[in-house]
Amino acid sequence: MSAPPLSESAVSVDAETQHDIEQFLYREADLLDRFELEAWLALLDEDILLKVPVRTARHPGSERPEFSEASNYLREDYEMIRERVGRLAKEYAWSENPRSRVRHVIGNVRVLDVTADTVTVANNQHVFRSYGDTPDHDMLSAQRHTTLRAADDGYRITERTVYLDHSILNTKNLTLPLL
Amino acid sequence: MSKPQNTNEQSNIADIIERTGTALEEGRYPLEVMNNGDLYRTELRRIFGRAWNYLGHVSEFTEPGDYARRYIGEDPFIVARDESGELHAFLDSCMHRGAQFCTAENGNTSHFRCPYHGWTYKNDGSLQGMPHMAEAYQDLDEEEIQLEEAHLDTYQGLIFGRIADEGPSLTEYLGDFTWYLDVLFGTTEGGMTVVGEPHRWESDHDWKTSADNFSGDSYHVLTTHQAGLETDNLARGPWEELTDFPGASYLACTDRHSVGYYLSEDSDTFMGYPDEIVDHLSPDLSDEQRELFGRSVFHFGTLFPNMSIIHGIQSGGWGGPWACIRKWNPRGPGTTETTSWWLIPSELADDEDFLEDSHRGWESLSPGGAFESDDLTIWEGISDSSGAVTHELRGTEGNMQQGLGAMTDEVETVDDPLHGPAEVTTKGLYFDERNSRTILQSWYEMMREEGEA
Repeated sequence: MSAPPLSESAVSVDAETQHDIEQFLYREADLLDRFELEAWLALLDEDILLKVPVRTARHPGSERPEFSEASNYLREDYEMIRERVGRLAKEYAWSENPRSRVRHVIGNVRVLDVTADTVTVANNQHVFRSYGDTPDHDMLSAQRHTTLRAADDGYRITERTVYLDHSILNTKNLTLPLL
Repeated sequence: MSKPQNTNEQSNIADIIERTGTALEEGRYPLEVMNNGDLYRTELRRIFGRAWNYLGHVSEFTEPGDYARRYIGEDPFIVARDESGELHAFLDSCMHRGAQFCTAENGNTSHFRCPYHGWTYKNDGSLQGMPHMAEAYQDLDEEEIQLEEAHLDTYQGLIFGRIADEGPSLTEYLGDFTWYLDVLFGTTEGGMTVVGEPHRWESDHDWKTSADNFSGDSYHVLTTHQAGLETDNLARGPWEELTDFPGASYLACTDRHSVGYYLSEDSDTFMGYPDEIVDHLSPDLSDEQRELFGRSVFHFGTLFPNMSIIHGIQSGGWGGPWACIRKWNPRGPGTTETTSWWLIPSELADDEDFLEDSHRGWESLSPGGAFESDDLTIWEGISDSSGAVTHELRGTEGNMQQGLGAMTDEVETVDDPLHGPAEVTTKGLYFDERNSRTILQSWYEMMREEGEA
């Protein structure tokens, strides 16, 4: 694939569904920003696949994919995500002790596809992160594609791909809450 | 991102370099060498300008026209396979006015066309032509127009380039380290192959800090990576069967490069590769190299100046086996752009289960991984504080004294052909910092005014 699927492929849904999806993404982002990762984990389907593919600078017309089909910064199933959540809880997970100050700003929420029990949604995001006793900060820009599965008590995330706008990451680490 | 740097107009480069050489004899080094603007600019010329620099792997350039943008020091080179199959590395700088003409990281092309005035080059670096050539350049010797090209050579599929015209051949430069490169990259008949695209990220640490870390620092794993090692639910690999980590560890240093590794007693370990790996072993391996590979769990090392290697299975159940080549591209004093390639034995390229495990191992050392993320935070702090004026004014020295003199009697020299031609110690990865001294000694030898490449 040369880029995230285009917005033309968006489908229209009723205002209530659009509202519910947006509210779900906002609440989820707030859990990530607060590092409330156990609560965030409860939003994941146990069949989840989370991917952050490597993006490569291409010449126009190149036959090679811009987002790698083989290599990812992360490609995680539920078991691996749960392990990472547990790792971050340890005091000697130095990269997040103290915690980064993280803030998601989410926009351009568009439904891409609807099936009997899933909704696939695209959102753009800027994620700000500052760390420690410095004025430095990282800014990660991305488009996320998330497939949500309807459960009795709300949505569960069953698939997510984070399409970064960076071919070279300008961050010292890509911790889970930044995605 | 900040760009910390200590550029001191008054600093005496020759003095710092000589102090480093003297201090190293006692296992010490001036901390300021890890972030000094003047030293950095000298490194670009004396080290990166003269060393054999890793540029890529032959599996990335299988077809005529395959190219990739790679760096020697900060200089942007284009590695390309020409129409006759020869590999080249030429500078991304048009011979007309110096403009850059390669905007992609990699791809395939028969020609490069400069966007400024349209001068066009073949993928062997020679001039194809330019607009209005017949009218504008009636007296031009076209043969003279040739992109600046680096000297290029390969070993075990690894492509290296050198800017300087004079210096040792690649095999002389690699020296006894070729024996270990055979075990890491020449174990199967088909050789290793790069999968997908590399991880790339920029961070505020000095290239020497990471080159040193990968050259054999297992000592830091106990502290830095405690959170990564203490997994709760992941299935464990052969690494976890080692009960005596120091005793299973070996440190092999040549006069310039360094590699550390862990061995199992089980000669069919093969880093945890699928059993079929034995069907593909290269007949070029010596008996000792074959046995070493068979008992191998994990290798990591640094080929001076800025290529590092990991090959094996990750601890804690995070995945693997995988091979990774790291390149620490200098991007200013105290700043590095890291490129991290994933490689596998080519015979396993269609094994989906293996690829999944191998990718897991590779990503455990990505910026998103369970291990690397903790390293990077620490390395940035080293860079920041190594630029301290305090260190400069007081000549503060850091410590790499493990294994020197009477410091420990744990380290034992190994005299066994199984371990190849380097100077090898066991328990060295925990109690000997000979790896760090080797890498910094290489730095000193090339940084000296009259030092040789």
